[in-house]
Amino acid sequence: MLRVALGSRVDLSFIRKLGEMNFGLLLLLCMIAGIGCAVLYSAAGGSFDPWADRHALRFLVGLGLATAVAMIDLRTWLRWAYPIYALGFALLVLVPILGVVGMGARRWIDLGPITIQPSEIMKIGLILALARFFHGRALDEIWKIRWLMIPIAMIVLPVGLVMKQPDLGTAMLLMAGGGIVFLLSGVKLWKFAVAIVGAAAVVPVAWGLMHDYQRQRVLTFLDPDADPLGAGYHILQSKIALGSGGILGKGFLQGTQSHLNFLPEKQTDFAFTSWAEETGLLGALVLLGLFLLLFAYGHAISLRSRSQFGRILAGGINGLIFLYVFINTAMVTGLVPVVGVPMPLISYGGTAMLTLMFGIGLMMSVWIHRDVTIPRHAGGLGG
Amino acid sequence: MKVLFRKPRSRARPCTPADLRAAEPFVQLDGAVKHAVETGRNRVVIAAAVFGLCFLALAGRLADLMLFRGGIESSPTRTAGLSAAVEQLPAVKRAPIVDRNGVLLAVNLRSVALAADPRKLMDPREAATKLARLFPELNRARLEEELRSDKGFVYVRRNLAPAEQQAVNRLGIPGLSFHPEEKRVYPQGSLAVHAVGYTDIDGKGIAGAEQALDQRLRDPARMQEPVRLSIDIRVQHALRDEIAQAMKTYSAIGGAGIVLDVRTGEVAALVSLPDFEPLERGTAPADSRFNRMTLGVYEMGSTFKTFALAMALDAGTVGLNGGYDASHPIKISRFTISDDHPKNRWLSTAEIYQYSSNIGAAKMAVDVGPAGQRAFMDRMGMLRRAAIELPEIGAPLYPRRWGTIETMTIAYGHGISVSPLQTASGIAAVVNGGLLMPATLLRREAGEPVPVQRVLKPRTSDIMRRLMRLVVAEGTGTRADAQGYMVGGKTGTAEKAGAGGYKRKSLLTSFVSAFPMHDPRYVVIAILDEPKGTKETHGFATAGWNAAPTVGKIIPRIAPILGVVPVASDAPGVREALMLPPPVPASQERKVASF
Repeated sequence: MLRVALGSRVDLSFIRKLGEMNFGLLLLLCMIAGIGCAVLYSAAGGSFDPWADRHALRFLVGLGLATAVAMIDLRTWLRWAYPIYALGFALLVLVPILGVVGMGARRWIDLGPITIQPSEIMKIGLILALARFFHGRALDEIWKIRWLMIPIAMIVLPVGLVMKQPDLGTAMLLMAGGGIVFLLSGVKLWKFAVAIVGAAAVVPVAWGLMHDYQRQRVLTFLDPDADPLGAGYHILQSKIALGSGGILGKGFLQGTQSHLNFLPEKQTDFAFTSWAEETGLLGALVLLGLFLLLFAYGHAISLRSRSQFGRILAGGINGLIFLYVFINTAMVTGLVPVVGVPMPLISYGGTAMLTLMFGIGLMMSVWIHRDVTIPRHAGGLGG
Repeated sequence: MKVLFRKPRSRARPCTPADLRAAEPFVQLDGAVKHAVETGRNRVVIAAAVFGLCFLALAGRLADLMLFRGGIESSPTRTAGLSAAVEQLPAVKRAPIVDRNGVLLAVNLRSVALAADPRKLMDPREAATKLARLFPELNRARLEEELRSDKGFVYVRRNLAPAEQQAVNRLGIPGLSFHPEEKRVYPQGSLAVHAVGYTDIDGKGIAGAEQALDQRLRDPARMQEPVRLSIDIRVQHALRDEIAQAMKTYSAIGGAGIVLDVRTGEVAALVSLPDFEPLERGTAPADSRFNRMTLGVYEMGSTFKTFALAMALDAGTVGLNGGYDASHPIKISRFTISDDHPKNRWLSTAEIYQYSSNIGAAKMAVDVGPAGQRAFMDRMGMLRRAAIELPEIGAPLYPRRWGTIETMTIAYGHGISVSPLQTASGIAAVVNGGLLMPATLLRREAGEPVPVQRVLKPRTSDIMRRLMRLVVAEGTGTRADAQGYMVGGKTGTAEKAGAGGYKRKSLLTSFVSAFPMHDPRYVVIAILDEPKGTKETHGFATAGWNAAPTVGKIIPRIAPILGVVPVASDAPGVREALMLPPPVPASQERKVASF
């Protein structure tokens, strides 16, 4: 009886899988993306063209992608984890050779009809591969430094390549995302303290390796008033826009800072500011609340997963989305330097949207296959 | 650890804690595995707690910024502080320059010059060392050499700030002296540098309005009274911003723009890019110091068809019902005149303008004749330097022998080079009812008489407004159609002349426009020097694809500042003012006549 009860959610038909999808989570995503469309509609001066309509279309495509990803068995994702990581890594290595230069950095590979950004594949690939690695390790192995060297290398190698592009924001995301997976996998907490102290020690070295514009951003972060018309401009304008919003905001389509072009990048990195200016603290907190609810879903899925792989994967993806939201909000409010991290589902941009929805799909796959138990060692997969 | 696991329920989630507990009994765990699972779940809870704390911090920061800080203290208070400080300044030797609303563009601040009397210095070596340490830009060795000379007066450094003066005092070197002087400061930096100009170190104007108005600015009797320019710094900012963005988007090597009041001739904004910071005038490249708007003269291309049409309509050689056969290129001596958008048929007067037909414009001009065209161009001010309060004024270039071929090419803007400023004044006369007035950089007071000269009949101007609106509504300039502002205009794409003839690849694109067309208030011109095609323009680099959309972005930004209210295109008064009778083909016209 027990076996049957357990097995009922292990091998599901396609239709049952569709029914098992987490519709509350989907509704939440639609609400956040709806706010995104509203922000972009307003940013274009009250017009669906050129951003809001495309944003909505991309979201729908993303929903389709997420559904497709969710339908695929968690065990299949386990099998594909390393290949996806390897593909992402190989493409990252190819970027300096085949890449296209855009805005002073070489981040894209042009494949004729489509352009891909290998660092985006890497964001998902890294979490998949780390989840796979820790899935196969027992706790006492994880506690040994010797074993930890492998996942550390898995993080450091792509981070180094991304830094060379140079793309400090993505490098930080990868590093922090990897850190969250480490936390979830049960690495001893004191090791994190050591790592943080170590990172602080590396700062002077990193300073020497940074590009001028990156240094400028850090300096500007420390004192935005030093160069109010140059590098400090973004942050100052963003803060003025937020401050002018007040509790209830200026009203939809009424944001003067964004509509009069004081606020730069209002449709991408600073979309949150534009929303907060028009809807005030209340609107900003509502949006953050929706994201918090999204993370609650993520944590619940992670807790509920029966397999270590599923737990770490869902938690890791959840952590990645959290990092996007946190870094973007902290950036526009001047808590961290400007690093060019978009707001998920709000900021205009196709690549980030696809990455995010792919991640959501994986999270949903974990939910649908939450009762699937996966043996610790790869050999037990049964070929 | 266990305790943590037992209560992981601080937040909402789709699976209830009951689910979790129900799941437990199914899991048969040995010690190690159980430990691992518990650790894993605990870690999820720890992560959730960290996320929650981070969000708390964000919410706190937002509340701090949005409720208590009120943003940064708003800039008006700062500006107010600045103007108050300026008012308290003691008498200076050069009047300030302000924009039409009183925003400071140039002002003298008091400073001191540091000088030395080498004969009184006790130890030139020590003095030079100490001074060079204080002012790192000074060359120690050269300074020491100067201080060792037997002159009675040597400038050490000009324009010391008070803090620097105090620092020098502290050195306690006998033989140094301070001399009060003034420093010209430009608070708006490069924003209006081509209009405002700048002075040399002795406070003498050497460019822009600073030079043209030098005498007035130095008039001791009017020192306290600022010179008020016609420039509106807000419009200037919007214009410069859009031209700069267009240069970037279309990879142009230069750009220029102007906003001109058609009723008074006042220049509300004047931009020539690239530009430079007035403080860095010594090191700025020559190209950035060149004013493309007033000093540069260019073959304006098709925008000149506006003048060809106005001329022919005014002379009465063609009417709106008339037209010309544009089915074949014109062959004249060794030249061939053909159309860029050939329709290969008879074109009505309106269509010639709408589709920018070279053939039609050329034939139209030939009917007026070389002498008539020359007189017309002279009347429109195209054959003499523009009059404006700037020293940087280019003289137009036009053929000495003005024959039939020249008449034809000038009709579509080739063979004559004028400054964009002249073009702007000409367009203003075309749309304002036919009155030509000199452009000015000085603000005109309300009711002040404007020197005008009638150059076109009011009826001609009325038709031209409708035709210019037609081009934007459904011709080559549709991308300039800023909704509600009834933009009218004409595109122009000219190949730049180089060694050995015209260069097909390097273009000068321009869009001349006026708005709102049913009651024109301002002329707006945007010019791009050597723009390139982009993906969005499908590789085209002609004016309709770059200069026109730039104007389309400028107008909605400046109109609210200039007090122009948007209207609906079918509003009463607007529609009638912009309607055109439907074109009547020649064949039909003849039929009507023989009926």
